[in-house]
Amino acid sequence: MERELANIKDTVNEMWRLVISQLEKAKQSFLTGDVDLGHEVMSRERRINAYELKIDSDCENYIALFAPVAVDLRLVLSLIKISNTLERIGDFANGVAIHVVKDDCIAFTKALSEELRMEELFDVLLRMLTDSFVLLQSENTQLVGRILAQDDTVDQIYDDSIEVLSNYLANHTDQTPCGLKTLLLIRKLERIGDHCSNIVEEIVFYVDAKVLKHGGKTVPLDRESKE
Amino acid sequence: MIKAESIDFYYGEYHALKNISMQMEPNTVTALIGPSGCGKSTFLRLFNRMNDLIEGTRLEGKCWVDGVDIYDKSVDVDELRKRVGMVFQKPTPFPKSIFENVAYGLRVNGIKDKKFIAQRVEESLRGAALWDEVKDKLKKSAYELSGGQQQRLCIARSLAISPSVLLMDEPASALDPISTSKIEELIYSLKEHYTIVIVTHNMQQASRVSDKTGFFMLGELIEYNDTKKIFLNPAMEETQNYITGRFG
Repeated sequence: MERELANIKDTVNEMWRLVISQLEKAKQSFLTGDVDLGHEVMSRERRINAYELKIDSDCENYIALFAPVAVDLRLVLSLIKISNTLERIGDFANGVAIHVVKDDCIAFTKALSEELRMEELFDVLLRMLTDSFVLLQSENTQLVGRILAQDDTVDQIYDDSIEVLSNYLANHTDQTPCGLKTLLLIRKLERIGDHCSNIVEEIVFYVDAKVLKHGGKTVPLDRESKE
Repeated sequence: MIKAESIDFYYGEYHALKNISMQMEPNTVTALIGPSGCGKSTFLRLFNRMNDLIEGTRLEGKCWVDGVDIYDKSVDVDELRKRVGMVFQKPTPFPKSIFENVAYGLRVNGIKDKKFIAQRVEESLRGAALWDEVKDKLKKSAYELSGGQQQRLCIARSLAISPSVLLMDEPASALDPISTSKIEELIYSLKEHYTIVIVTHNMQQASRVSDKTGFFMLGELIEYNDTKKIFLNPAMEETQNYITGRFG
């Protein structure tokens, strides 16, 4: 039973390393305009999807055959959600690669890249993704606050980007389509920060059995109809 | 309500239960789990004084059932056993008809009113979810029933004398999954009227049927809490190791 669960965790770790690599390559592809690297990211996207399907299937089998409880149940539930979240992050990395490969707005985005703090944004996200990976291995939930705090930086960069793009487009209305595409790209990256936070919450649920999601507050389901 | 306070129990020199205190609320199902020999069945049997039948045993501490100190000298054990029914691991029907098995406790208690007995037998068989299966063969031998039906017959026999507490010692361990499922559904429905304590080795059964779970090990109550808490996030490492199968 322990070996089965360890095998699933190993598969999640492999998927996680692949997603980190995808985001790293998406970043390099974006910053250097390397279209080949963008193609590489796009071609590896299917492997991430395959990992998600395998992990879902392995977890279903594990629950059906071993009926886990307590820490084992919390771990397998967390692994399902983490792999689903990693797949979404993989999608966003793929979205960056598509932005580079399509090449219709890459010059626009790169020109504003410094002002939009794109490299910093990628770096913070890679750190969050790597730190949360370390968190699952170490099960040291004292790291949680530090990881979640990084999402504030991500949110700040995203908020600032709206202002930067608004100001720029006010004087370059002909570039509005690229401005919007760039904002969507940054929005995708901002969502990676949220997903990393979700992963951290799942790990805390597994290790400490605490619910951080939505501030850990539960409201009776019939409350909505009364309010 | 059932309550145990500072219970120590000895089989001769062997210290089988060590300072156990726990309280079971009315209309709840409490599961007692733990490795073989941990004392959970011994603890269960305290509540209808079944351990009195074993020579060389000694009890310290107090046990209450419905506010009565059941080890007080003034307590009539037969009266106690009317209030506290017991179902065992293996079905134990008497070599009598289905009807007479259920009526037995009433007759032993001096009830002779045939109409009342017939009514009580039907109510008990309905309560044990067996009526529809046996109503047309009440005069047949109880031995003609399947294992699962025999176990429900034994539950009906316990219900006939209107107890307030039902003790169940691994009631489904000798049954197939369908019969087990019926017994579990029955336990769930019976708690509306009874306080139920069940000893089980089946972790899933404990998690399915009980409101509270107590984990015993080496004669000690390691943890007693809401079943959901025990099976999602037990407080004690020993509990976690046991329910996840890491030792036992």
